[in-house]
Amino acid sequence: MSATVGEEELERWGVLDGLPGDPMMWVLIFSELVAFGLLLGAFVVARAVHPAVFTAGQAMLDSRLAAANTIVLVTSGWAAARGAAAARNPAPIVARRWIAVAMLLGVAFIAIKLTEYGGEIAAGAGLETSAFFTLYFLLTGFHLMHVLLGIMVLAIVGRSATANGVETGTAFWHMVDLVWIVMFPILYLVR
Amino acid sequence: MVRDRLNLAWLQLLSFAIATLAASLLLPSRWLVDALVLLLAAVKGRVIVLDFLGLRHAPALWRGLLTTWLTGLVVLAGLAVAIRALV
Repeated sequence: MSATVGEEELERWGVLDGLPGDPMMWVLIFSELVAFGLLLGAFVVARAVHPAVFTAGQAMLDSRLAAANTIVLVTSGWAAARGAAAARNPAPIVARRWIAVAMLLGVAFIAIKLTEYGGEIAAGAGLETSAFFTLYFLLTGFHLMHVLLGIMVLAIVGRSATANGVETGTAFWHMVDLVWIVMFPILYLVR
Repeated sequence: MVRDRLNLAWLQLLSFAIATLAASLLLPSRWLVDALVLLLAAVKGRVIVLDFLGLRHAPALWRGLLTTWLTGLVVLAGLAVAIRALV
């Protein structure tokens, strides 16, 4: 009886069982990707409707700081992936070190982004300046909240450093990374 | 083996990130810049999906879904640029 219950427990996620980490995290990841996809789609459509407003807004952004943040975030993703690989070995102490590196780089991303916000706000940009900046602050602010949440998730899974826990936490972190990779050119570079 | 693949993926991502910024700063044609940075975004995203998220050996359904999300956004952004230039 208990064996049957155990088998049911294992099979209850169906097709989601083929994914690394906890299947519930993937439900969250797919939900987040839908939300970010809709926001980015709205940005692209709004730019097509108001090209002059978006070109003027984009000229006020610092694409070099954003590019630096891309390098910081992909390096953080690499450290998180190395942490997950170490946790699977299992080498929990090594995994914790890599997770700590990923978290520190996440903090660096936040610091660079806040510096960038400071420059933009000093130049006169705000939530209500234009449609461009409303969507820009909404998108990047929403993403920044996910970076902060991702650091907290990494801190939690890094404590025990179990293979499943670290795979689950790093999957969220890579989702944050993936969103930024698409967001960076659409917001900063494509005219 | 896994470590080597992760290191290679990281180096690829760094190279593509630098290429993205260089293209946006150095290339004279706006069309070429837009096309190249969007293409590089799709390639970088694919590397993250396969190597960092670890979906290389996951069911094709999930790789396909994430790739569709990625290419869908890149194609939408590219189409918007093309339509705006033509109108």
